Amino acid sequence: MTGMIDVYTIMQNGLNSGNILISLVFLVIYVIFVLLIMSVFAYLFGWIERKLIAKAHYRHGPTYLGKFGILQNLADLIKLIAKEKVAPKTAYPVLFSLAPQLLVALTVFLVLLLPYSPSLQAANIGPGLLAVFVLLGFTPIILFIAAFASGNKYADISAQRSVLLLLSYEIPMMLVIASTVLITNSYNIQALISAQERGWFLFLMPVGFVIFFIALLAELERPPFDLNEADSELIAGWLTDISAPYYALYLFLDYSKVFLGGLLLSILFLGGWLGPSFLPPIAWLIGKAFIVALAVIMVRVTMFRMRIDRILRFGWIWLIPLSLINLVITYILFV
Amino acid sequence: MALTRINIGPVHPSTHGVLRLVVDLDGDTVVDVDTRIGFLHRGVEKLVENRKYMQCPPYMEKLDYAAPLSVDELFVATVEKALGIEVKERAQYIRVVLLELQRIASHLLWLGTTCNDLGQLTTGFMWAFMDRDLVLRLLEEATGSRMFYVNMRLGGLVRDLPAGFDEHANKLLDYLEKRLPRYERFIEKNPVFIERMKGVGILSKEDALDLGVTGQILRASGVDYDVRKDNTYYVYNKLHFSSKHAVSGDNFARYKVRMMEIGESIRLVREALRTMPEGDAVGMPVKLVMPNAKNRISIVSREVPRGEELMYLVADPQSAYRLSIRAPTFINLAALRHIARGCRIADLFAITSTLDFIMADVDR
Repeated sequence: MTGMIDVYTIMQNGLNSGNILISLVFLVIYVIFVLLIMSVFAYLFGWIERKLIAKAHYRHGPTYLGKFGILQNLADLIKLIAKEKVAPKTAYPVLFSLAPQLLVALTVFLVLLLPYSPSLQAANIGPGLLAVFVLLGFTPIILFIAAFASGNKYADISAQRSVLLLLSYEIPMMLVIASTVLITNSYNIQALISAQERGWFLFLMPVGFVIFFIALLAELERPPFDLNEADSELIAGWLTDISAPYYALYLFLDYSKVFLGGLLLSILFLGGWLGPSFLPPIAWLIGKAFIVALAVIMVRVTMFRMRIDRILRFGWIWLIPLSLINLVITYILFV
Repeated sequence: MALTRINIGPVHPSTHGVLRLVVDLDGDTVVDVDTRIGFLHRGVEKLVENRKYMQCPPYMEKLDYAAPLSVDELFVATVEKALGIEVKERAQYIRVVLLELQRIASHLLWLGTTCNDLGQLTTGFMWAFMDRDLVLRLLEEATGSRMFYVNMRLGGLVRDLPAGFDEHANKLLDYLEKRLPRYERFIEKNPVFIERMKGVGILSKEDALDLGVTGQILRASGVDYDVRKDNTYYVYNKLHFSSKHAVSGDNFARYKVRMMEIGESIRLVREALRTMPEGDAVGMPVKLVMPNAKNRISIVSREVPRGEELMYLVADPQSAYRLSIRAPTFINLAALRHIARGCRIADLFAITSTLDFIMADVDR
């Protein structure tokens, strides 16, 4: 494909021709570009979430800083970063300070791994989809380590919960992904999206879409599955002893994970960057991700928090059988 | 398996004040709850002994800060009984109106905090508080204050209802009647809410009677006991209302009883406003000249929004010799240990929120 930007290929060409400096510069520019998109998305999402929740509460939300309070999150960020960094005595210092960096690095890596348009991606590798979800599966484990390392009893309970949560949503999620792979016959994300040119997977398997959305909410630790940081019982769960600068990092992580989740859902079910040509493909992809993010906020505003044993039961009695049925039906109809 | 002992409170998002719980956990299951209270003890009962009678209501109102008028009224009624003062008829009606409005405001506050405790992102909380604020505004119109009213005087009230109160009250009640089904749609249609509330925190009828709980918690367990009906006062026997009760005794029953009570209170206020006689409602001035206690001991009980509150007053001519308060929240909170054993840690806070305690009232 002409005009194709594939960082991996360019790096390889650079290595072969011995011109590695230019390809390194290119890599840095690409990373900065994607991170910029992610940060702007995360920032805007943070603001819109505050505004929309305020709307649902008959409040105004932030209004004071900037037009419609758009600078409020920036001010909060500065405040949090400027605060003192405190680690509790009972914490394991290395793990405690390493865990947030690891979590953010993982999310950033995943966001970098995804393609943004037919001609803009990090690497067009075969098992791209598989790689993304395997890496995504690490998040709860790092979270478990972070909670365990803080040496707080509330965090311990939160860590137990995050593992139980993992048990209940990871399997249906993987089964739904398997059924999309059944249609495309490939783990390649480019192939997955071009397979949706005939029809979005949302219409081919609506049940799978719903299951994936529910599992995604759990993956993002958004209500009603925000048991890790259930404020009414665990104060803040694994975040209880996190001091302000790290908390800013986690907040950023929270928002950028919504970006990641929105991208995944739109790639898998909403046709990725496919759309009328008056907008560039990348705009379609990010627009769809944004709509998914709005849906996540809607759920957050209205739902009550579920209980961990109920989530397990829900996962094993409803999600797993339904995703199996979804897999079988997909096989019968489309393969 | 080894138990985890965690300390919850006194500063915790869900303890509504300064309650401290020492919880033994087996994984996620509560094995034992130890309730530690007393962080908010002010010695109100002793303070009263050094004050003249009508200097006390401001202290009383701070007992139950979610429903100050109820405690205010209870204390004044106790003193009235001690001094043998009759309450004017119009004042009786106005008191009923104010008390029922206070009950609505208190239940709305409870509804909001319960939504919060069940992990809903303060949406229900904000809605309920918005409506509560309208009720408070109406009470402000009648009493001149938003939160602590001190509106009762011996034999009557500080002032009669202002002009146009009927109209404003009816408008508000119409609005609230429209809002109640919205709450029910928003809350009861939510499967997670039902899951968290139904069959959780069951208190059987026998246990409820043994533990001495009163109010909605007792009624939710299937005992139809309401002081307004069974030991009636003021004009409650002339007004038409039913005391609502449920049978299942779980969190959902306690929720439902309170929601139904809001509806009943709306009807009560309407009827009281309609049938209110003309006349004088202003009570005696604060500076009583030579109050003369007729009864040495007087006991008065009232159905306050949180149960049966009772005051035992040993009267001296000028001030109380001894005042003892049976706070319903104190006794209701004692049931927590019994209810919460064996439940999940997440349900512990659903139960504490449906027990609806006010720590200022518990600790006194």
